[in-house]
Amino acid sequence: MKLYDFELHAECYAARLMLSLLGVPHEVETVDVYPEAAHLTPAFRAINPLGRVPVLEDGALRFGTVQGILAYLAAAYDTSGQWAPDTAVLRGEVAGWMAIAAELAATAGQARLIETMFAQGDAEAARAGAEGLLRVIDQHLWFGEVEGRDWLCSAPHPTIADIACFPHLVLSEDGGISRQDYPAIRRWIDRVKRLPGFTVMSGVFATSSAL
Amino acid sequence: MMDLAGWHPIAAATDVVRRHVFHGQLLGREVAVWRADDGFVNVWENRCLHRGVRLSMGLNDGRELRCLYHGWRYANRSAGCTYIPAHPADAPARRICNRTYPGVEAAGMIWSAVAPEAEFALPEVLVGTDPLVLRPVSVNAAPGVALSMAEGLVPGGSVARGASVLFGQAGLVVFVQPLDAHRCVLRGVLLRQPEDRIAALRDHDGLLCALREGIEAAGEAAPAPLEVSFQPVDEALGQMPARGVGGGELRVQVTRKWAAAEGIVGVQLRALRGVLPTFQPGAHIDVHLPNGMRRPYSIVNAPGEEGYTIGVKRDDAGRGGSICLHDAVRQGDVLAISAPRNTFPLRRDSERVLLIAGGIGITPMLAMAQALAVQGIAYALHVFARSAAHVPFAERLEGLAVTRHLGLDAAQTGAALSGILSGYAFSHHVYACGPAPMLSAARQIAAAQGWTEEAVHLEYFANPEAIDDSSAFEIALARSAMTLQVPAGRTILQVLQENGVDLPSSCEQGACGTCVCGVLEGDVAHQDVYLSASEHAANDRIMTCVSRAKSARLVLDI
Amino acid sequence: MAQDRGALMTELCNDPVMLEHWHPVVSLEELRRHGRCRTMLLDRAVEIVAQGEGAVVRCEAALVGSLVQYGYVWASFGEAPKPLFAVPEFDEADRRFVVTGVFGVQVSAGRAIENFLDMGHFPYVHAGILGEEPHTEVKDYDVEVSQNRDEILATRCRFYQPKAAVSSDAGAEVDYIYRVPHPNCAVLYKSSPMDAARLDVIYIFVQPMGQERIRAHTGMCIIDDASSDLEIRSFQQTIFGQDKPILENQYPRRLPLDPRAETPIRADKSAIAYRRWLASKGLRWGVIPAGV
Repeated sequence: MKLYDFELHAECYAARLMLSLLGVPHEVETVDVYPEAAHLTPAFRAINPLGRVPVLEDGALRFGTVQGILAYLAAAYDTSGQWAPDTAVLRGEVAGWMAIAAELAATAGQARLIETMFAQGDAEAARAGAEGLLRVIDQHLWFGEVEGRDWLCSAPHPTIADIACFPHLVLSEDGGISRQDYPAIRRWIDRVKRLPGFTVMSGVFATSSAL
Repeated sequence: MMDLAGWHPIAAATDVVRRHVFHGQLLGREVAVWRADDGFVNVWENRCLHRGVRLSMGLNDGRELRCLYHGWRYANRSAGCTYIPAHPADAPARRICNRTYPGVEAAGMIWSAVAPEAEFALPEVLVGTDPLVLRPVSVNAAPGVALSMAEGLVPGGSVARGASVLFGQAGLVVFVQPLDAHRCVLRGVLLRQPEDRIAALRDHDGLLCALREGIEAAGEAAPAPLEVSFQPVDEALGQMPARGVGGGELRVQVTRKWAAAEGIVGVQLRALRGVLPTFQPGAHIDVHLPNGMRRPYSIVNAPGEEGYTIGVKRDDAGRGGSICLHDAVRQGDVLAISAPRNTFPLRRDSERVLLIAGGIGITPMLAMAQALAVQGIAYALHVFARSAAHVPFAERLEGLAVTRHLGLDAAQTGAALSGILSGYAFSHHVYACGPAPMLSAARQIAAAQGWTEEAVHLEYFANPEAIDDSSAFEIALARSAMTLQVPAGRTILQVLQENGVDLPSSCEQGACGTCVCGVLEGDVAHQDVYLSASEHAANDRIMTCVSRAKSARLVLDI
Repeated sequence: MAQDRGALMTELCNDPVMLEHWHPVVSLEELRRHGRCRTMLLDRAVEIVAQGEGAVVRCEAALVGSLVQYGYVWASFGEAPKPLFAVPEFDEADRRFVVTGVFGVQVSAGRAIENFLDMGHFPYVHAGILGEEPHTEVKDYDVEVSQNRDEILATRCRFYQPKAAVSSDAGAEVDYIYRVPHPNCAVLYKSSPMDAARLDVIYIFVQPMGQERIRAHTGMCIIDDASSDLEIRSFQQTIFGQDKPILENQYPRRLPLDPRAETPIRADKSAIAYRRWLASKGLRWGVIPAGV
């Protein structure tokens, strides 16, 4: 298995994190995304016509979106069946949060690319969009704590929805979005960091043990 | 200008969960709020004093908060720095302490104030209630604007105490926590526990979110953020230090005294007011005794626990300090002690640490073992004693990696030490405290097994050597521009103190290392057991309580 | 966070110390890729347009003084800016010059330079790469302010690095020399794993967009035929990505020059020298001057 990867890319981190949590052996091919923009070259578009990382290659199979990668890895390599649970309720919840993860990428993630790597766009608008989402996520997680639920979906364990949202939330400060107003998100970040098999990326630090 | 004296809720009790650091703010001042494993809630200025990095990024390990940038550790309760990894061989010489704010946990919330003029008093409306704390809702609007609009939330609201709105009929209070001039948090509280808790939380959350929407939509121009200035650190901390010394006297109360083992009492000391200074594992305090004596005792507990605990072995043949503590000092007594000093610092940049304790020499080792265990550094504690009944503080040994060696004679002790000290490797360190013969044996065995001198750290109870004070010589004080004569029968330390030169001292027999002084010129006749052989040979430091001059004159860096 | 940004931008930098220096605005590599670059320098919007081998820099249609050096376009608003510092290694033909990227950071230039000079954070912020617990000691080193060159020089710096060379898994002490020849630029010399007699050069050239907002230009000038540009870039980006959240969480963002603002230790000798050096120049912009 091979991951086409760029260290500082939030969605590549989601893919690396999932691989690490599942303990799936794989090789990594770094794509010179910044500043070389190698992902936009014809050579890379032959691998992923979308011109995007991450791309996961498993034998002859190729997945060129983070949603596809997470869903595939969970279905193919998670023997516990936890990460992409198969009940009607959880399927609906996971799909919903995967959509929110994509919205986070377009707002918080975009603000980060603008501030850090000088992508084109309106950083203030991106932050405003992210703030609306973060308020809802914080509220959802706060009620989760009250109701005895630690993760985004109603399962008693994390799912790919948590992994899809995590990079954008944990990297939000890069885009100028403080998490001070979102205490429940901050606690959930600690919980994700304490999952067995958790791995950091450049700019994300481990937390203390809860034991 | 906003009122800095008022107490405000800054977090819900449920915000400060185990091993987490909450990021809060009050009147422009950011705070890091964290609960230690003993339940204490710390409210600290949100910046490490070293380089200003937010402590809310730091790691809560249950007893200490570790800054993410350079790994500096700060203790629960006192907020004092306990360890600076860049200088592992130093005891943090200066008293480095983070700024704290008062914190009180009451009615399901954490309350604090920037510059309180009075002790915390629970708002009257909450007294005697068992409230349900609602979800906090942060608002991008000035606190005053939020407060006045909150009044119209449900009929019958009225502003109380200048920072909260009370809805008597609904049994609801909304506190407006001023984060800054332009931002606030609505903290709602239901005065009675509702029948359906979750439904009540959701209903009222909807109410507060709608209120927020209204406030933010009103579009009142937000004032500029408050200008926050930071208090400068003490002048001494602004200087780059070489090594320093501990400070003046502290008053403590004996809150507990008990028989910790055969012939050994445990004495627990608490501050009369406030919080005692932070210390590092291996530190000792000088206790001023009712009989006028002053004696050093190692601190048994680890940083982050409240107060200091010491262990004192009765020594009928001693100079009388231990007898006085055993017989005359009682629970409730007030004693003067020195601030903690550390002349036996624990390096934490080791891959493996051996701790060897003989008898009452276990006292500094307990603090060290606890610190190593918390930090996850491999260590082994070896306790030598006459019998199990002679091992004090047995309750503190639970959960530590301890091996007991009981009832061994000198030869057996040597054999045991040989086994313990085998397998030296780079980055291993050994610390030993116990009777002089045992330490001499440990030093010899370690050297024979290839331990480098820097890796062997010994603390003597007392100097076993007979001190020769027959010489007479001159000392010149380079920094004070004074020249003094040291006659036979007097020590350098005594002569310095008689002439008004303030040099701290403790054991006064060349064992503890407190009265160290730099040597610029002259040959030293070392008589201490604190410095190692190569440190003696370097001839650049002297223990002024026992060591003297071989040359006619010594120039000291003081 | 976001709200704090506006207030400081309203006034343009008028600090003569900053105005009389050359500042990096874009790498030739970035300029070649896009043909032009719009950015900020000292609170002013500037545009750089490629022209032949070099570039022209404009600020509101007016031409701004510029030069090309070390692979970058440098600009200055000053009448007679101080000549740009020398890094002779850039002229050595057998070295590889790799631009590792430019990153936007919400921090003052001074904080970024100080972090570049700092070794004590290696085992924590760059764990497993530039340092590793429990090997946390910063051994004594020498710092001097060179009078004839007006720069800070830190020598005899050593730090334990878990992977001392690409080829080895064993940890060892690595030697460093740091130079700060410009208030916003620093150069690090590090023993080369390829040639024991020579030193690799790693630089950070900070472009101060505003008092609390920078573009950090990083790169290397090294003796290495084994690693690809991509490997070198990934390595350096990983390092910088680790420093970034630390820099953005330093509080206050501007570098305090008052000795009592923070608590230095012996390991901070170079930072102390740097702060004193900036204070002695009378710098007020991007810093919190002493006595304020």
